[in-house]
Amino acid sequence: MALSAKTLYLAVNAMNTKENISGLNNGFGVESAHEATLDYAFDVANHPQPPIAKRGKKIVACAANEIPVGGKLIIESDNLSIGIFNINGKFYAIKNLCPHAGAELCEGHIQTTHRPGEVGEFHPALEGRVLRCPWHGWEFDIVSGKGLYDRNSRVATYKTEVDEEGNVVVLL
Amino acid sequence: MAKLDIPMIDCDIHPFATDEFPIAPHIPENFRQAVAQGQSSQPGHGYQNPFGVNRRDMPRVHPEIWAKEHFDRYGIIYGVLQPPGLSISLTQNIDVGCAVAKAWNDWQIEHWLAADKRYLGSICVNMNDPTQAAAEIRRVGGHPQFVQVITTGESTQLYGNRSYYPIYEACAELGLAFAMHPGSEGSRTPSTPVGMPSSYFEWHSTLPLTFMAHCASLICEGVFEKFPALKVLLVEGGFGWLPHLMWRMDKDFKSLRSTTPWLKRLPSEYIQDHIRVTTQPIEETETSEQLIQLFGMMHAEKTLCFASDFPHCDFDNPRRVFPSRMDEQLKERIFYRNAAEVYHLEV
Repeated sequence: MALSAKTLYLAVNAMNTKENISGLNNGFGVESAHEATLDYAFDVANHPQPPIAKRGKKIVACAANEIPVGGKLIIESDNLSIGIFNINGKFYAIKNLCPHAGAELCEGHIQTTHRPGEVGEFHPALEGRVLRCPWHGWEFDIVSGKGLYDRNSRVATYKTEVDEEGNVVVLL
Repeated sequence: MAKLDIPMIDCDIHPFATDEFPIAPHIPENFRQAVAQGQSSQPGHGYQNPFGVNRRDMPRVHPEIWAKEHFDRYGIIYGVLQPPGLSISLTQNIDVGCAVAKAWNDWQIEHWLAADKRYLGSICVNMNDPTQAAAEIRRVGGHPQFVQVITTGESTQLYGNRSYYPIYEACAELGLAFAMHPGSEGSRTPSTPVGMPSSYFEWHSTLPLTFMAHCASLICEGVFEKFPALKVLLVEGGFGWLPHLMWRMDKDFKSLRSTTPWLKRLPSEYIQDHIRVTTQPIEETETSEQLIQLFGMMHAEKTLCFASDFPHCDFDNPRRVFPSRMDEQLKERIFYRNAAEVYHLEV
């Protein structure tokens, strides 16, 4: 009867916490309510995994002092187009290809974004490391390669370091 | 005339007051003078259905007659009432509007909900005073047969606006859905974003614009993050536009997420989890295959709930409304399972 079902619902959901709601039962194929949200995407960005050098190839990209802080250089190597970014003195490399419609991702603006928070709140996050694709503006974290607009998207990143001669070296 | 085998929950039934079931005795006593003096007046939208809103063959308004002629006839296990008080927010005098809203809720309880357990009620509230509206929701919302709060698509603000939070809070707290219904568009502002249609036909064709706007507002303002338990029904506004809105909003979201950073999921996911649309008036597509494709595109197995709009003249016959080739499980979802979940009904 309608009464008992409604009463039961109210009792069970007395604490309408976000963990109660449908992330688990919504059929979106996620394992936790947390993973169902963009909090997860930002978690991945904030805990970047070291890139895997699939090709095992080292390339000398440029002299480190060619890319100022906040700047970038796009190089072509091995049939790949790669953008190298200087973020606060550290170098990062990311594939120059947007997974959406094939734009040259690294031609986009480098920005700060807002992380998810409470309704009505703006929290600047990932300062100076968000690449906004020049075409549709999709956001990617340069450091982790993570797309910040959904759960799974990620653009390839490459381990990048400065060698003893002061050159930026990228591991493909 | 065999019933279909599937039980049905009808999400849109329109009773109204008659001499036999008047509304006046339910108006709170201290407001009767004001009502008698015309203080419950509302602006109209100025469009006239040329044939009248009700079916010419509608049975006399009576809960027992309607239960027999409509519920028994089609095997409807629950029917959700949407009385004229759904448009109470149009009352110019806000407090008189609140009082008459109470009357419509008490009227439902006494004459319909008491008559047959299959009748489910919609709590009429004046959206212009969210505090009084929340109090009214709490006053009657515990009644086991009230399943939702009802209002008009016509509004002074889009429903994502934070001024409505007391209403959504009360709904979420009591396990009540929040529903809107068209019919008053054009009463205060033109019914389209540009201007006023010049025929009832034109006005009626573009009513879904209002629902699209409210849908986008509820999502973008973060109402479903603020109130994760809230479910919203868009009744009698069609549904062919829903896939378009899902696709367009998802696409825009991927570009513009950082401007509404409180949104943690795709708009289409919020829609599938929180928003429901009803079938009537069903889109009569060129081929039945197109309708089935439309159901797929809008995730009808989650989002769509059957409604007849009895006794209105654009009523959908439950026996003929869906293609015969339709998947049985999908038919069940639409005919009753989706509504049962939203309204917490045992079936």
